[in-house]
Amino acid sequence: MADVVLSNVNKKFGTFSAVENLNLDIQQGEFISLLGPSGCGKTTTLRMLAGLEFPTSGEIRIGDRVVNDVAPGDRDIAMVFQSYALYPHMSVGQNIAYPLKKRRVPKAERGEMVAKTAEMLQLTPLLNRKPKELSGGQQQRVALGRALVRDPKVFLFDEPLSNLDAKLRGYMRAELIELHQRLGRTMVYVTHDQLEAMTMSDRIAVMEGGKLQQFAPPQEVYRAPANRFVASFIGTPGMNIVDGELREENGRWLFEAEGLSVDAGHLGPDARPGPAAMGIRPEGLDIGAGPITGTVQLVEQTGHENITVVRLAGDLRMTGRTAPDQIWKTGAPVQFSIDATQAHFFAEGPTGKRLNREDPAVEAQAANHATLKEAIS
Amino acid sequence: MPKQVGPPDGQPDPERHIMAMQKQTLLERRYSMLGLLLIAPTVLVFCAVIVYPLISAIYLSLFKIFTPTLEGTWVGLDNYRELLTKGEFWTSLRTNLIWTVGTLSLQIIFGVGMALVLHQNIWFRSLARSLILFPYFISTVVAVLVWKWLFNDLYGILNHFMMSAGLIEFPIDYLGTMPNAMISVILVGAWKYFPFVVIAVLARLQSIPDQLYEAARIDGAGPIARFFDVTLPQLREVLVVIILLRAIWDFKEFDLIFLLTGGGPVTSTQTLPLVVYKEAFSLNQMGMAAAYAVIMMLIMLVFMLLYMRRTRTEGS
Repeated sequence: MADVVLSNVNKKFGTFSAVENLNLDIQQGEFISLLGPSGCGKTTTLRMLAGLEFPTSGEIRIGDRVVNDVAPGDRDIAMVFQSYALYPHMSVGQNIAYPLKKRRVPKAERGEMVAKTAEMLQLTPLLNRKPKELSGGQQQRVALGRALVRDPKVFLFDEPLSNLDAKLRGYMRAELIELHQRLGRTMVYVTHDQLEAMTMSDRIAVMEGGKLQQFAPPQEVYRAPANRFVASFIGTPGMNIVDGELREENGRWLFEAEGLSVDAGHLGPDARPGPAAMGIRPEGLDIGAGPITGTVQLVEQTGHENITVVRLAGDLRMTGRTAPDQIWKTGAPVQFSIDATQAHFFAEGPTGKRLNREDPAVEAQAANHATLKEAIS
Repeated sequence: MPKQVGPPDGQPDPERHIMAMQKQTLLERRYSMLGLLLIAPTVLVFCAVIVYPLISAIYLSLFKIFTPTLEGTWVGLDNYRELLTKGEFWTSLRTNLIWTVGTLSLQIIFGVGMALVLHQNIWFRSLARSLILFPYFISTVVAVLVWKWLFNDLYGILNHFMMSAGLIEFPIDYLGTMPNAMISVILVGAWKYFPFVVIAVLARLQSIPDQLYEAARIDGAGPIARFFDVTLPQLREVLVVIILLRAIWDFKEFDLIFLLTGGGPVTSTQTLPLVVYKEAFSLNQMGMAAAYAVIMMLIMLVFMLLYMRRTRTEGS
């Protein structure tokens, strides 16, 4: 059963369109991430769900009621803010109890609920402290506590981990996943950090320019990005994207770019001859052996692997992953190959649609090799 | 063979080391000298216009002095003894407190209220924000003259309007009877100085994070609850400072009251600063005036100490 539904939601600020024709069906108990770069409309979407912004048009349902005209406090939602937004003059206990107080929960009951929540989040020894006496991680947990204590239908998170240091962020990520599993509540999580989105979500809604680009489970977003934007946005290091042309030859597609020619095999029905782009993730490159020659431009040693950037003819750069012991000198010539089975093909333009055929069996058949074409010099 | 200076290669030279230390301390000393030089003008001016008059006032208060000649005789603490046993001091202190509490309360209420209005997204907000400062920036003399016209019982526009509206049958004497005179002084004082509260509160209001209000809305707080649970606690610090500062400034207010009522009718609005003036320049008793001034300073010292403690705890 869908728990949160956004239908044809638009949000305009003056003439600027922050969210365009957004449709999202969020199932009960799902953990959804709204992912995208700054200004993509993800936070506006969350704020519309919270009732802090009003959609210009469209309908928002939470549970079985339309909430367009329902005040934030009556939507049965809780929100955790990026800055935590703890009431600075109230103690931890009073902060957590505040939403209960405003809902006129009797004092004794309130105390019990606060104690239970504090225990769950290991905040019991801090109940009498003021927010400014707490560390970032502790403040974060208090903000979580204030959201949890009411047991709302939907939890909204607005980049809640972005103010924490990397180590604490990893820890809190795990805590949130565990919390979601334990509570089984619907959670909507806004982030620009793809790692958070990938590790925590049941499904990711990737947004750009106010538009939904893809709404799918993390693995699908990674393996079958709906378009060029999603492909380039997801993954670190990012997908190598090469602009070129598609050509059909005897029922098979051939992708050609400066110095490169890749057998695209069978593409989907949307493929047309003409300008297109090919995307290949760094793991789709085999650096060290293969028919293509390039020059090593940069080797980044991360410890468990090396990120190697290779320059091809023209100004084309491709990034690959290599074993930590594979180190080349900058400027050294290197051979590599492209695994065409892992290649994605996109129509022209920054959000050009993915052209690959969806059937993986067919894609496997199309598995082929990349061939080197003489560099046009 | 040239004379060897310092230890052989590779060995630290203790002499040079000491010299380096001395050089460093020399540099440090130069910095502190520069620091002293830079604050010296301020210290000198401070001494000339604050410390000297202060000590001079305390000194003068121990004499019985005839103002025009500034000649006097040593009377020790007699001025203080006389002052504290005089009814005038206590009446004036009471008047002073009524004025201070009255005008300060109105300044705070109007100031906070107006700041809240100006913080909203209203039309012509910038214009309104500038206009609201007008009473604060206008010269007290000009402001009081205008108010005296408005209040005038013969040709004042206030009486004219109220009589035209049929609210009153006879003109009201705003400045010549009690309690009208005190109420008028308090109101004009509130009008003149509430913009200070507006500026300070508005500045604080703008720095309250929106997310606090949003969190409160999601937690189910209505507009009134948001004011008491978010706005007011956030304003507490700034309000304490405003109240302490304005209390000091209002307590020593002279020109506004002097020009509006001159302390009258009789001595009904005569606050301590007016008594100081009267003693010094009407009764020509500079010594007694100085004693009044010193007592006033001691009263304000309480507020000042509170203010300093407040700012110090804030700083830490």
